[in-house]
This record gives sequence, structure tokens and C-alpha cells, in this order.
Amino acid sequence: MAARRFISPLWSCLAFTLAFGLSTLVLPVTTVQAEAGNAERGKLIYARRCALCHGEEGDGAGPGAERLNPPPRDFTEGQYKFKTTGFDDIVPNDADLFRMIRDGMPGTAMPGWGDMLSDQDIRDVIAFIKTFAGLEEEKPTIQVDYGRQVPSSPESIAKGRALFHEGDRCAECHGAEGRGDAIKKLKDDGGARTWPRNLTKPWTFRASNDPKDIFTRITVGIPGTQMPSFADPKSKKRLTIEERWHVANYVASLAKTDKVPRPENTVVKVMKVEGALPTAPDDPAWEKLPSTTFLLLPQLIAKTRFFTPSNDTITVRAAYNDTALAILLEWDDRTRSIPGDPKAEEIADPGMGEDMVAIQFPVAVPKGMKKPYFGMGDGAHPVNLWQWRSGTADKPQSVALANARGFARIESRDPASAGLTARGRYDKGRWRVVFTRPLAASSPDKDITFQTGQFIPIAFAAWDGSNGETGSKHTMTTWYWFLLEPDTGLRPLVSALIVAFLFGAAELWWARSAGARKPEGEA
Amino acid sequence: MMGRLLSRIPALLRAALVVVGIYLAATAIFSGLLGQPIPASLMTMYMFFVIVGVFMAFTFTEEGARAMAAPIRALVENPALRPVRNIVFLLVPLAAGAFTYTKMLPSLEAPVELRTIHPAPPSTFKAYGKRYDLLTLENPFRKYEKEDPERFRALVAEGGKIYIRNCQFCHGDKLNGRGPFAPALNPVPLNFQDVGTIAQLQESYLFWRIATGGPGLPEEAAPWISSMPVWQNFLKEDEIWKVILFLYDYTGHRPRAWEK
Repeated sequence: MAARRFISPLWSCLAFTLAFGLSTLVLPVTTVQAEAGNAERGKLIYARRCALCHGEEGDGAGPGAERLNPPPRDFTEGQYKFKTTGFDDIVPNDADLFRMIRDGMPGTAMPGWGDMLSDQDIRDVIAFIKTFAGLEEEKPTIQVDYGRQVPSSPESIAKGRALFHEGDRCAECHGAEGRGDAIKKLKDDGGARTWPRNLTKPWTFRASNDPKDIFTRITVGIPGTQMPSFADPKSKKRLTIEERWHVANYVASLAKTDKVPRPENTVVKVMKVEGALPTAPDDPAWEKLPSTTFLLLPQLIAKTRFFTPSNDTITVRAAYNDTALAILLEWDDRTRSIPGDPKAEEIADPGMGEDMVAIQFPVAVPKGMKKPYFGMGDGAHPVNLWQWRSGTADKPQSVALANARGFARIESRDPASAGLTARGRYDKGRWRVVFTRPLAASSPDKDITFQTGQFIPIAFAAWDGSNGETGSKHTMTTWYWFLLEPDTGLRPLVSALIVAFLFGAAELWWARSAGARKPEGEA
Repeated sequence: MMGRLLSRIPALLRAALVVVGIYLAATAIFSGLLGQPIPASLMTMYMFFVIVGVFMAFTFTEEGARAMAAPIRALVENPALRPVRNIVFLLVPLAAGAFTYTKMLPSLEAPVELRTIHPAPPSTFKAYGKRYDLLTLENPFRKYEKEDPERFRALVAEGGKIYIRNCQFCHGDKLNGRGPFAPALNPVPLNFQDVGTIAQLQESYLFWRIATGGPGLPEEAAPWISSMPVWQNFLKEDEIWKVILFLYDYTGHRPRAWEK
């Protein structure tokens, strides 16, 4: 079993499971094949642990299935996405199934069961789920040929990069920057919507981003989806074993580790800049400012709820000067949603809306602990909502301002009256939107006033218009903090010098007065 | 013998050794043996009193005070120690300056938010347009566990379906509080497998928490940050009771009951 090379905090629970598994298992691959599972016992475990999603009949249509994307596996087809047998051999290795059950699949509702089921339990479940497709007697005949692994190196990555882009081999679906910005609508064999993996977010890889696992995916493809095998001799885009290692090394190198959400990062640090603020989304000045990335989750507290998001993180940078502040929001979105645009309509789900993003602040910065309710405030504690909308075929992008006291009490206001602006730009699977506003509120009873050194609650929301996200169907965060770093100027330095000088002077005086006296005993 | 040895150590060093010894012992006992580290701010306060106490004990007599001061006086007055003195005299102002500088910089640590996880429940609460009395409220389906086990199994199974369609997103397939969206939440979803959650609570308490959700929490539990939905907006009353049956059945915990 290849150890996971990259483990985000998002999957720390999984990491624990894996570490536990690695420390207690002696070569799972061999033990899996050595001991047969008991399908009768597996049936009991399945009914208790698996049937709610995968269905009592194993058809992937359990009561939980309807609200899950990706949908739970349909075992009656006997087709598995993540396996290490050849692309033309439908039968998976037991070790492939074992690993998926024990470790789970990041980015899906499938958890790792290694902390709840014993190895024997898992083998029993495998024996049982194979009966749904009559696979119990089948043995895989073709295994993936790994040849000799090419270790990652700048040369290998450069070769991989060229192969990735050559004839749009991989970039066609995974995008020029690897963000999975599809140029066509992808579906699996069952008709369910599928999204090409965003290769810059390795914590969403279903079976790890270890180059060996990536090699396996490139070689086998993902059966039942439009991810093909690049080992298939019939394919015009086929690659040799060595070439596949180069591509695997390149893909592994795309991980954007600076955009991993970390639970300890709860504060957006807003830096003071001299002179003009960066207001263009692609101003290089943004890169010099610290960024904080937050996880997004679908809206589940107000009607209508939303269960199948496509956006999963948002990255924030911010700066202020003497009079105003600017906030850059950056998030990967596979589709630019332009209602009324034929090409965008082709990729989108029916009823496409604009892509949108919003920032929420309390109108009054709380003095104590008590904040407005994180879901659009409450009767006694209103919030400011700043929303940017991407525009349609006949309408340019726009900014909106509203005050809310709960989901049902929303008052739309003129953004110009508060000096609020927003500008966005879409590039290769990523939106970047800059909001600006003066630090002082033009109407202090309705708008937040920004003061340095204050911890101000802040929350975010995002809409992927091509994923059916409109109105209350969107992704969001809970409250985090927004802090304009106080400009302390030279005060700390000057104070430190004064203290050091006073200490030094006192010592000198002491030493001189001691020198004037004769040391004791010599007198 | 021991006393003789001790008296050969200079008084100042002895005092320093006592202070360090107390610090190490406290750390070893609380962090090591008891597994409950003392917060840094509390430790600073304790050590302040320890240092003052030790200083007072060592300077209680005039002789003691002179013994304490002797090495410091020697450092300043003994010409042989002049190189050491110069180094100490350079380091002390530098340390004082550095300390002042770091203290003057503003703290950028996020404020700590303390909240009660299982707040005391009210005696009555309103949901579904009526008032419930938490003292007498019982799960109407619990009796079937004994009276009609087959019907009870069917009710648990229905609870499971409701759970997987509504609750697993945060509380997880395994009821361990680690659903697919849990990492995006703070406070984190409750882990029902843990012996410190539903095993300590009555079914009526769970009904109150589920029906009124985050906004129904009392002030000390910070209702404004809890992302628990107000389930009376999404589930029927008997659906909540069925989910509660499922929570206890899947985890193997028993609900707490009034002493009879």
C-alpha cells in the first residue's frame, strides 16, 4: 500500500485511520488475498453499515443516495472506479476494494471504516458486495504494469507537463492550469453529472495523489466515466509506461499547498499599504499579501437547503490604506456561468444562474462575545451583505448591498450610497473578485465602520450558477475574523530603545559607584 | 552532610534552583502525571508568587540577604570578573529592550470563545406551535422496545433513513461527528459515539436540541455560531423521535432516565 504523500487537515481523521491501519496491519495486500471473506457475515455488516447509502439491493439507491454527489456505487454493475487491474479487465483486486472501505474516499460521503470494522469484517463485506454482480468466483487476470517508477524531478515534471498539454491530452478536461475547468459536459455511464478532478486540490483526490496512485488512474482510467485509459493501444492519446510516470509526477506537482484550508487559520489579516490600494483582480500586488483559505459548505439551515456543492474553498486577501479597504476573494470554479450564453448553457445544469460571491459583516462590531446569528443575522443584530454578481449575456457584472435581520428580513440598498464597489475576472477555472469600500461608514447606523486592531466577524458565501446554485442554494462559511493590523509605527522600537538605554545607564552608574568604593575585604 | 553540601552552593544559585525545581515539579505533575497542563497565564501567576516567596525566605535574615547579594556584588566589584560583568551588562539591556518590543506589538491571536456544550435545559420550551414540558416529555416510541420489538425495529429503520438524508452531512455516516461537511464547521458537530454526548442525556433533551436547533440554545452556549438547523422547520415531530431511536440504537448507548 502506498502511503499517502499529501494529507490535508481536512482529512486528518482519515490520516489517523490510515496511520492506525498502517501500524496494525501487516502487509494488507497479502493478508487480503490470503484469507477469504465470509459473505454471510458480510451481509449482516452490510445491512447495518452500508445499506443506507448503497441500498439493500446493492444498487446504489439507498435512502441517502438522492442527496449525494458523487452518488454511492451501484454494486450490481460490478464496475469499480479505483482499481489496479488492467483497463480491459472489469474485475478489481480485493485489495482495491479493501483500501476504499478502510480509508474512505476524500471529497465524497464515503468515510474510512478502518476504525469501526476489523480487517476480517471488511473482507467479509467485500465477499458479500461481490455477490451483487456475481463476481464472487471471478479472478482478475490482468494487473497494472508499473514498469520502473520514474522518481519525480524537474526534468520528469517538465516532460509530464508537455505530455499533459500535447494535443490537449489532459488539458481538454482538466484545464490549462489543472483546475478541472471543463469545456464540455461530462456524465458517467449512469447519466450522473461528473466533474473532472481539480488537480491543484489533492485533498479531493479519491485515492490519494501519490504518484503511484496517479499512475494507476492514468493507466486504468476511471471505469464508467469519461476518464479514459492512456495505456489503451487503440487510443490516439496513449502513453508509454515511462511517459505515464512523467505525467503522474507533473500532476502530483500541481498541488497548491498554499491554498490548503487549515483549521487554525481563522483570521483574515488585513495589511496596511501606503498609497493606492490594489483594485484590479490580477494586480501583482495581491501576491505579496498573506492569504487565508476557508472551507465552504452547502447551505443547510434555511429553506431551500442545498446538498451537492461544487465550490469547496475560498481564499481571501485584504489590504487597507488611510481611507479605504480592498478585499480579494479567489475561488476555483470549473464553469463561467453566463445566463443567455449558448456555450455556457451547454455545459451548465438547467436553469443556470450567475456566478456570485458575498461577504457578510455585522453592522455593529460586537463589544463582547455575542455576534449576530451566522445565517444572515437576527432581529436584534443586523448584518451587511456585499454581493458581487458575474453578469449575463446582456447585463454586465454588478455589485449589490443589503442589510439583513435573518433570512426573511432583507433590505436591498444602493451600493453607491455606501461607496461599495466590486470587480471580478475569470481566468482558467478561477474567479478573482475585488471588493472596495471606504473605512468609514457613510451611514454608521446601517453600515459597518472599520477600525484598526478590532477583531471583526466575517463570513462568506459563493454560488456556482452552472451547478443549479441560485437563491438559498449556495455554499457558505460560518463566522471567521477580519483584522486590520494596527499601524504601530515606530512606537515599539522607540520604547524598546528607551528601556534598553535606561537599563544600560543604571548599570553604568552602579559599576562606577562600585569602582569608587574599594571592593570588600581589600579595604 | 546534605546540609553541609547545600551550604556550599551560593545562596543566589540555591534560590534559583528552588524556583526552577518548583516549576519543573509542577509541570511534571500536572502535564505528565495528571495529563492536565496548567494554562500559561495561570502558571505565570503561580510562579510570580513562588519567586516572591523564595526571595522573602532567603532574605529573611540580614546574613541571608547579604549571602544572596554577594555574587551580584562580586560581579560588579571584583575586577577579576570584569569580562563576565561586561557580557552580563550588555545582555541585560538587550533582553529588556527585546521584551519591551514584543510586549508593545499588538496581539494578533483570535479571541477565545468559550461556550457551554450541553447547557442546562429550560423547564419548558416551544416548538411546533405548542409548549413542551421537559420534565415529563418522553419518546412516544420508546415503549415499543419491550411491547412490540418488531414495530420498534421498523421505527429505528425509519429513523436511519431520516438520519442519512438529513444529519449525516455533518454528524457522519458513522455518527462520529465527522460527516463530509464537518471540517467546515466551528463549533464541530457532536460525536454521538462518544460516551460524553447522548449517553449522558435524556431523549427529551435531544428532542429539545433537535427541534429548536442552534438558535434555540441559551445565551451561554453561543447560539449565534451553532450551525445546528432548526429541525422543526424540516422534520415532523414523530420523525425527530424516530431519529432519536436510531441514534441510540446505532451507537449502542442507552438514553438517561429519571431515577425511579
